[in-house]
Amino acid sequence: MRDIFTIGLLQNTLRTATPVVLAALGIMLTDHVGIMNIGMDGMMLCGAFFAVLGSCFLGSWVAGLGAALACGLILGLFFGLFVIRFKSDEFIIGVALNIFAGGLTVFLLRTIFGVAGAFSGSEALPIHALPRIDIPLIGDIPVLGQLLSGNTLLVYVSWLLVAVLYVLAFHTPLGFWMRATGEHPESLRAAGVSPEAMKYLASILCGLLSGLAGAHLSLGYLTLFAENMSASRGFIAVACCIFGRSNPPKVFLAALLFGFIDALGLRLQSVGVSSNLTSMAPYVVTVVMMVWVVQRGRRRRLGQGKLPDT
Amino acid sequence: MKKLFALILVLLLAAAPAFAGETLRVAAVLSGSLGDRSFYDSANEGIQTLMELYPDRVKGSVIECKNDASMFTSNLISAAEQNDVVVAVGWEFWDALTEYVSELPDTKFVFVDNGLDGVGDNLLSITYAQNEGSFLVGYIAGKLTETGKIGVVGGEDSETINDFIVGYEAGAKYAREDVECMRQYAGTYDDPAKGKENALALYGMGCDIVFQVASRTGEGVFEAAEETGHLAIGVDSDQKYINPDVIICSMIKQVGNSIVAVVQGILEEDSFAGGTIWSANMASGLIDVGYGEEGMPQQVSDELKAEVAQIKQDIIDGVIEVPTAFH
Repeated sequence: MRDIFTIGLLQNTLRTATPVVLAALGIMLTDHVGIMNIGMDGMMLCGAFFAVLGSCFLGSWVAGLGAALACGLILGLFFGLFVIRFKSDEFIIGVALNIFAGGLTVFLLRTIFGVAGAFSGSEALPIHALPRIDIPLIGDIPVLGQLLSGNTLLVYVSWLLVAVLYVLAFHTPLGFWMRATGEHPESLRAAGVSPEAMKYLASILCGLLSGLAGAHLSLGYLTLFAENMSASRGFIAVACCIFGRSNPPKVFLAALLFGFIDALGLRLQSVGVSSNLTSMAPYVVTVVMMVWVVQRGRRRRLGQGKLPDT
Repeated sequence: MKKLFALILVLLLAAAPAFAGETLRVAAVLSGSLGDRSFYDSANEGIQTLMELYPDRVKGSVIECKNDASMFTSNLISAAEQNDVVVAVGWEFWDALTEYVSELPDTKFVFVDNGLDGVGDNLLSITYAQNEGSFLVGYIAGKLTETGKIGVVGGEDSETINDFIVGYEAGAKYAREDVECMRQYAGTYDDPAKGKENALALYGMGCDIVFQVASRTGEGVFEAAEETGHLAIGVDSDQKYINPDVIICSMIKQVGNSIVAVVQGILEEDSFAGGTIWSANMASGLIDVGYGEEGMPQQVSDELKAEVAQIKQDIIDGVIEVPTAFH
């Protein structure tokens, strides 16, 4: 047991949660304006690829991050254009994005880098990873220091974004307009604000966050690009967003919970729990979480005197 | 006019096999996709080697199913209809082969990495003694570990993967009796982030050498080794080039060369041992241990390499019997 509950478990939790946090924050924004973006997984994958591409060919992690953000911006605009302007079904566009991203990154990886499967840098084209940041004073505190210090850049950015987006969504007029877009667009229009503009804004911000999530995956968490490396993290992020009821701090906690279960499962293998059970655990927790959220939502509506349709 | 055109087309189609008889069409159908830098890539190399050796007599192709279960059967059948030899790479083809081999008697099937027999005279199965190769790298790990703890990251809890692990453990124990071997299964073959976490957990528990048996997931194991300043062991191909500073050696399973050998048999001697299982063991030369190319830093000393060579001979001679996960 002493082998399981170590600082490594918490570090693992944090590492596993961070890409999910970044992705879930993006999904949260689109959720507020009434769009469910299930294309996040593919958007992340593109972000991860372009981060490596920028980092290799332009020779710095800043360029990698920039390329990932540019890719996110374009995908966010693309998503917005189809869903808002052409009024396509957001689920179909989301699914299309996921399939498209899988194909595009494989094609580009094989044509540009001339390798199949994974690219982890070469002599001529090294991948420049995101910097690790050591915080001077906090880093010296025994347990806390090991958790809070020495992480890669985007881990801190994700924490900052949780706070910033919380304030944005719940304590600024802009956030109020965004939420009104999802709940009652007509009244927002009556107040002279365009719901479409809010939807575009959310889509683009979501795209930028997908770029960050991807860049973290390929330049921070790992220093390589592998085909399909997002490995359904975008879908876990959707679940975390729903579980956290689109409230940034709660979404953050949901992602941490997912990361914790994943990290714990991995360590439980060492005391003889079957790996087939442990790799199932995060998904079982996701389903249980969903049932709980739906039940709670129904009870709330009942409490307000509005009966659900069924 | 249309009828005449159709007639010509039919005649051409009927004549096509006669013309094509000169070249042997060989296709490898992969359950996953290229780029694992081990198992599937090795099969691909085998096909490429054949085309280089026999530019006029072999026409090779590689079909990827990309882990899409709906493609396994259809790709296998369409490959069989267009080729003389079909190499199925991946245990996922077990069901499809069992069902369709007897219905496609004109095609010779080669099933790589699985022992399937009694299906038809046109199927040759190849199994590899990965336990014997893993015994060698396990021995090296047992000799080099300072903490007395070594680890292994497997792709999934399956018999083939466990065959590696059992051999590895036995080899390590042969080198040093008190060695402790810890195992982790990632549950996926294409998520390097997961593999990195598995390896970090093992290093965190005191292991100083980790053997990866998890295809692309294993890329993360090498990253974890570099980050924490520990060592790792590669699998299937000689993977040392990926990161020569942390990968001390690789257990080599030459899937590609076994495919070359089978097709050469067909071409040169017109022999094909259909209906049997070929067990490619240490003696076949297809199972080995690799230390990278010249000029790469070597963590394994020459004395240790000599010991490993002796053990290899002992396994071939039957002096050492390596346990297996297969029953």
